[in-house]
Amino acid sequence: MTTMPVARRRRGRVMVRNTVVGLSFLLPNFTGFLLLTLVPVILLFYYAFTDWSVFGGAEWSGLDNFERMLGDSSFWTALTNTLYYAAFHIPLTLAVSLGLAMLLNRRLRGVAFFRTVAFFPYITSIVAIAQVWNMLFSPTYGPINELLRFVGVENPPGWTTSADASMPAVILVGTWRDMGYYMLLFLAGLQTIPGQLYEAAKVDGANAWQRFRAVTLPGLRPTTFFITVLLTIGSFKVFDLILVMTDGGPGQSTLVLSQYIYKKGFEENEFGYASAVSIVLFAICFLVTIVQFLVNKRRSE
Amino acid sequence: MTTLKPRRKAPGPLRILGYVALAVAAVAVLLPFYWMLSSSLKSNNDVFSIPIQWLPAEPVWRNYLDIWTRSDITTWIGNTVLLSAIVTTLQVLTGSFAAYGFSKITFPGRDVLFLAYIGTLAVPWQSYMIPQFIMMSKLQLTDTLWSIVALQAFGALGVFMMKQFYESIPDELVDAARIDGMSEYGIWRRIMLPLSVPALASLTLITLVNTWNDYLGPLLYLRSPDLWTLQIGLKSFINEYNAEHALIMTGSVLSVLPIVVIFLAGQRYFVEGIATTGLKG
Amino acid sequence: MKRSIAAVLGAATALSLVLSGCGGGGDDADETGPLTLSLAGWSLSTTPEFKTLADGFHTANPDITVELKEYDATNYDTQMIADLAAGKAPDVYVQKNLKNFYTYQDGKQLLDVSDIAGSLGANVGGLSAYQVDGKTWAIPYRQDSWVLYYNKALFDKAGVKQPDGSWTWDDYAAAAKELTTKLKGAGDKALGTYQHTWQSTVQSFALAQTAGASLESGDFSYLKPYYERSLDLQNAGAQVKLGDATTNSLTYQAQFGKQQSAMLVMGSWYMATLRSQQTSGDADKFEWGIAPAPQQTKATTGTAAVPVTFADPTGLGINPKVSDRKAEAAKKFLAYAAGVDAAKSLAGIGITPADSAAVTDTFFQLDGIPQDDLSKFAFATHDTKPENPVGKYTAGLQNVLNDLHTAVLSGATPIDQAITEAQDRAKNEVLSK
Repeated sequence: MTTMPVARRRRGRVMVRNTVVGLSFLLPNFTGFLLLTLVPVILLFYYAFTDWSVFGGAEWSGLDNFERMLGDSSFWTALTNTLYYAAFHIPLTLAVSLGLAMLLNRRLRGVAFFRTVAFFPYITSIVAIAQVWNMLFSPTYGPINELLRFVGVENPPGWTTSADASMPAVILVGTWRDMGYYMLLFLAGLQTIPGQLYEAAKVDGANAWQRFRAVTLPGLRPTTFFITVLLTIGSFKVFDLILVMTDGGPGQSTLVLSQYIYKKGFEENEFGYASAVSIVLFAICFLVTIVQFLVNKRRSE
Repeated sequence: MTTLKPRRKAPGPLRILGYVALAVAAVAVLLPFYWMLSSSLKSNNDVFSIPIQWLPAEPVWRNYLDIWTRSDITTWIGNTVLLSAIVTTLQVLTGSFAAYGFSKITFPGRDVLFLAYIGTLAVPWQSYMIPQFIMMSKLQLTDTLWSIVALQAFGALGVFMMKQFYESIPDELVDAARIDGMSEYGIWRRIMLPLSVPALASLTLITLVNTWNDYLGPLLYLRSPDLWTLQIGLKSFINEYNAEHALIMTGSVLSVLPIVVIFLAGQRYFVEGIATTGLKG
Repeated sequence: MKRSIAAVLGAATALSLVLSGCGGGGDDADETGPLTLSLAGWSLSTTPEFKTLADGFHTANPDITVELKEYDATNYDTQMIADLAAGKAPDVYVQKNLKNFYTYQDGKQLLDVSDIAGSLGANVGGLSAYQVDGKTWAIPYRQDSWVLYYNKALFDKAGVKQPDGSWTWDDYAAAAKELTTKLKGAGDKALGTYQHTWQSTVQSFALAQTAGASLESGDFSYLKPYYERSLDLQNAGAQVKLGDATTNSLTYQAQFGKQQSAMLVMGSWYMATLRSQQTSGDADKFEWGIAPAPQQTKATTGTAAVPVTFADPTGLGINPKVSDRKAEAAKKFLAYAAGVDAAKSLAGIGITPADSAAVTDTFFQLDGIPQDDLSKFAFATHDTKPENPVGKYTAGLQNVLNDLHTAVLSGATPIDQAITEAQDRAKNEVLSK
């Protein structure tokens, strides 16, 4: 906001007035947010240091929960799986949605139609999605393996029913669901890059790949940063998709952190411990976002 | 504002490659929906026949009649529509109102408050479900539709999205209006709101989709069957008639349909809004 | 400004309420006049037992009305825990999963009902499952037991000898394979048997029938022969693979009811379901019967012996936050639900009451229930062990064992390795708490 040249006393009064008016703008939303989100989240930080079984009071237990986490192999499995999911889901979704956006940025027939349908997965309920994809992935009778056998794959993967292929299956569905949304963001980003830049690069004799490296990628940096942050938080928090598709199985092959929190809390009634794991998840999301922020800042300077 | 018009014409061979890629992507996106639709027109035993029937041999249109009599889907749709309408209105109004405060008025403590909003985005909901539930029952809201309204309407996402957008509106515009003697509320109402139609539209869509598809929230808060939403209704229908694969698909199609229609109707705005709010990250 | 002060005050009040724990949930107790008790149930339209109990009790005690409150069947405990924590739970609630009984009891969410337990007849089964430290915390009204269902028509079509009560698991496996082969020969796609996706279909039999086996020992080697047999049946194609059953959301009702399998290992509650589905057309009409669950050794087979099987009782507990007058009425309700009158009404709708010996005749008078002697024997005679022996570690151990179940039956992990891993996890994550 630009400050106007005004007398100091006047400025003081403006400040008070601004505060009152500003707060009045926040109030309707903030009241609900404070009561229903902020207070529970703050309580969470307290419960993380207690032994709390949901009933009765929470007993202060210091760092016990965090110490226990160190030796809890299921926690480490969940953490590894979450990183596995994020490590593949983030780049895959970035690549697919950027590729589609570049495709749609060309003058082709059917672009408008595709832009519409690409958004369908994002607006469909997760319950319906899981039901359909599980049927499609069915190892013996499902259409996907039927197709693979048809094209000559002798032993198609067991997808959600095999320890090795269950995570790839979930990652595929996750990407399928998210790509339309991020594609739109990329598409908008692409349109902010001035056409002259491409022309100039062409005159300089740059080929398609060089133009992509020298013009497209730098031009998209703010968009890519924003998408990466959203995708990162989304990937680390992935929950409902896995809950309805595999419930963490088979074995623990798709157990992720947010689901582990749910299991510890609601199935084994260790809300204190579950809160502690939540704090770790929160810290990871927070750290990764900060790092991305710093990297982005250094690059743009 | 961006219009998302394709701008570059591709040369010959690349063009063909482009069409092939587009076709493959379209099939990949639509295949599950096609499967859903064709299964909803099959008899139960044909849903998993070997070899696969890509087209129902004899479309069973009856499924679309039966679902209305065999389930309470009318009640569920009613509740879901009501909730979606209230939540979306509240979220869009309070969200854009608060976003104006965050982006156009400077006062001490503003950034700290905003940080609190952003911080909660990174906390998974299921970890603070219980403290929130206790809070909600102190407010006497559990097992009422208001609980879902309270749960969804004041989320951080709306404030975050609208703030992103307002930042892109030049401050000079607001200052000029102030000099003309307009009150802050007037500026919000007469200048910001009309300017932010695309952003409001995309927030509307995202809130609508989230409310419409929310499963865990209604599951935890709504007990009485006459308050059920489509998602829990459908899930309990699956539990109850678990052998009725075709009818389950029929229900799924019906649950997706309204949101698709809304999306198609307003897609021009949504696309623009999402594009512009997403840009200034 | 006034508005913001009010809001801050409101928030502070609410916050202090949360921090100070739950407020009192008691209600003004009118000392006389009609009374209404609330009772938690699930899937009310397909689970008539709650209404039967409520109506029967109201007829006997016109002053007390029992009102039903519906919960989600699969997320019953999640919802109940949330309601109890918030002080909004009903007066009487069902212990749907014995696995979670410890949570409620240890969390002081159950009223001591030892006085009622003492007044009940000796025939009420499952009572011991709810006893901790010499006190009783819930009263069973229903005690199922797991049996073997078989489709007589498919057995005849395949020309395989029907069960006679003498089967061990090896006999069962051999019959399942023979049925599959011969049915295929007769042009029928039905498989020999169906064991549902639940871990209990394998693990609980192993636990109940193996001498010396226990969950809390942390030694799970007793599971091995049972899993080897299940894997063998899957590989022989005599039983649907776990993966196909989960991805296609197969249901045991459809597998057996639509004649996709000739046998089914399932709890006795399915008798009532099958009967009503055969009437409504949701299941095919065919002749069926039940036999005792297959045994580990010959020692417990034959109609002269008592077959060993498993199942958890279903009990009613009282919310300790109710007023004294309501507690009195609720105890009356619990005593009624476990008694002979309620047992007869429950048997009339096909439910196996806790006092099952008293109602065998009533039960077998129902239309569509098989009339042969073996079915009657299987219904009335069994040594039923709990699926989830009550203990601090039960829920945690069952979660570990469920991971073992999906890992082994999906073929992801060999059985020996899976058992070793489960034992390590049990030791480090559960038993060390």
